[in-house]
Amino acid sequence: MDREIELRLVTRLKAGEPAAFEAIYEAYRPRLFGFLVRLSRRRDVAEDLLEETWLRLVTHSATLTEDARLGPWLFAVARNLYFSWRRSRAVDASRTSELDPAWPAPERGDSPFEAAARAELERRVEAALARLPLRDRELLLLVGVEGLTPSEAAGVCGVPAVTLRARLHRAREKLAAELGVDQAVPRAKAG
Amino acid sequence: MSTREHGDTVEEDLSALRVHDASPERVERIRGRCVAALAARRVAAESPARRGTPWRAWLEPAFALGLGALYLAEAVTRALAVYR
Repeated sequence: MDREIELRLVTRLKAGEPAAFEAIYEAYRPRLFGFLVRLSRRRDVAEDLLEETWLRLVTHSATLTEDARLGPWLFAVARNLYFSWRRSRAVDASRTSELDPAWPAPERGDSPFEAAARAELERRVEAALARLPLRDRELLLLVGVEGLTPSEAAGVCGVPAVTLRARLHRAREKLAAELGVDQAVPRAKAG
Repeated sequence: MSTREHGDTVEEDLSALRVHDASPERVERIRGRCVAALAARRVAAESPARRGTPWRAWLEPAFALGLGALYLAEAVTRALAVYR
């Protein structure tokens, strides 16, 4: 989102304009949902946390600073809500790393070949992401998928930017290794 | 099979992930709740007089009580004056 537009939206949201909320909601809702569903691996949980995130924005909109950055603010709230939920439910890490076989659903509009190729790539990347430790996964989601800068992601995760860059580098290596392993399996089976 | 060595490839793979969204029912429900909350906030902010200010909360009853006491005292005084 263009920074000038974002600043105007923040001002209007602080004044309680529903149209400003609508614009922010449309811009960030799918991104937040994707982040939450890939963190939690559960659609129902992601939807609950998504709702709570938006309610938090509305509740705290009057107290936002004029130069607030909406993306990092929203992702930070979503992330904190997810970790709170995880702590409260004492979710077993092995359970959350399992992939729901029905997710992601095929995208409408693709040809069967495109859909199959896309689904295969997506399945491999989703599976590799799911196998990573949660701390690595959240960094890759924030920076690699959602396009936050490392500095913004550091703010979201509450760590210094230098630390985050080092962790991000290791997370990328782990994902590359996972994808390599994932690619090696069919070949080994074939051979 | 060697593992991938370049971060760029990882970034490409991640960018291939599809955008997901909540169910349409949930999307509408969240929108409705948030717009209602915003509207309620605006109404509350626009009509502070309706809610009253903190000092009025105790001054008004005290004033009414004082007037009532004066009226009652005057009534009792006049009633006693009739008997005397």
